[in-house]
Amino acid sequence: MPPDNGNFMVAAYVVTAVIVLTYVVTLFLRVRRERRR
Amino acid sequence: MITTERATRVARIGFGITVLAVIALAGIYARALAYTPVERTQGLAQKIFYLHVPAAWATFLAFGIAGVLSLLYLWLKDRRIDLFAEASAEVGVVLATILLTTGPIWAKPIWGTWWTWDARLTSTLFLFLLFIGYLLLRGAVTDPGMRARFSAVVGVMGLALIPFIHLTVYLFRTQHPEPIVLRTDGPALPGVMLVTLLASFGVFTMLYVGLVMQRYALGALRDLRLEREAHAAG
Repeated sequence: MPPDNGNFMVAAYVVTAVIVLTYVVTLFLRVRRERRR
Repeated sequence: MITTERATRVARIGFGITVLAVIALAGIYARALAYTPVERTQGLAQKIFYLHVPAAWATFLAFGIAGVLSLLYLWLKDRRIDLFAEASAEVGVVLATILLTTGPIWAKPIWGTWWTWDARLTSTLFLFLLFIGYLLLRGAVTDPGMRARFSAVVGVMGLALIPFIHLTVYLFRTQHPEPIVLRTDGPALPGVMLVTLLASFGVFTMLYVGLVMQRYALGALRDLRLEREAHAAG
């Protein structure tokens, strides 16, 4: 029987998604703002 | 020097690649969570592997490229090389943040601790802090020539650290395991897990390419604006 540690897996996948999406959005906004200046 | 039109085009292409990479990353999530079997001894926590290891690959790719470009800048003094190095370093810091958060989350259920000061983990943390320093240095120096030269020296120091980090698991007794894919006797991984891992390597590489293109375009657009402002001020 594998150990019950699925919550750690969920945490890692959520953290990765948050980091990636946050940077993607902020970089997009930074480029857009610079193009408008 | 790059033109505004060209920088805008690079930003657009980079954004397109990034969007594709994010969609592909969602595919990796689906494949890893729903279609890749659960490892018997580690349980579900082992699936962190499909993010942690590709994030490590992309981190070292980003910092390695930033380091090589820093070396090239010191030789050629081309402003575009400096902008590319800056872009790669910033994206590398983001990828290293994924590496250094998924690592402890995986370590806790498997090693029983969030962090241990062994050679692999400590040297990776040093590399991350070194590139944080690289970005802070760039923010602190206003003269473009000095900024590029000083940060290039820091970038080269980061480059020197990368082979050492790779060798730490062989040179020291560490908690961190040795590579299970890049082995002389072939990958020690079942086929279905290997396919998920290799696909994730591809997605993280694509994500790196898309983000670096956008970040490079941002640096170029900022430089062009500063040039225009300086010209207008006389």
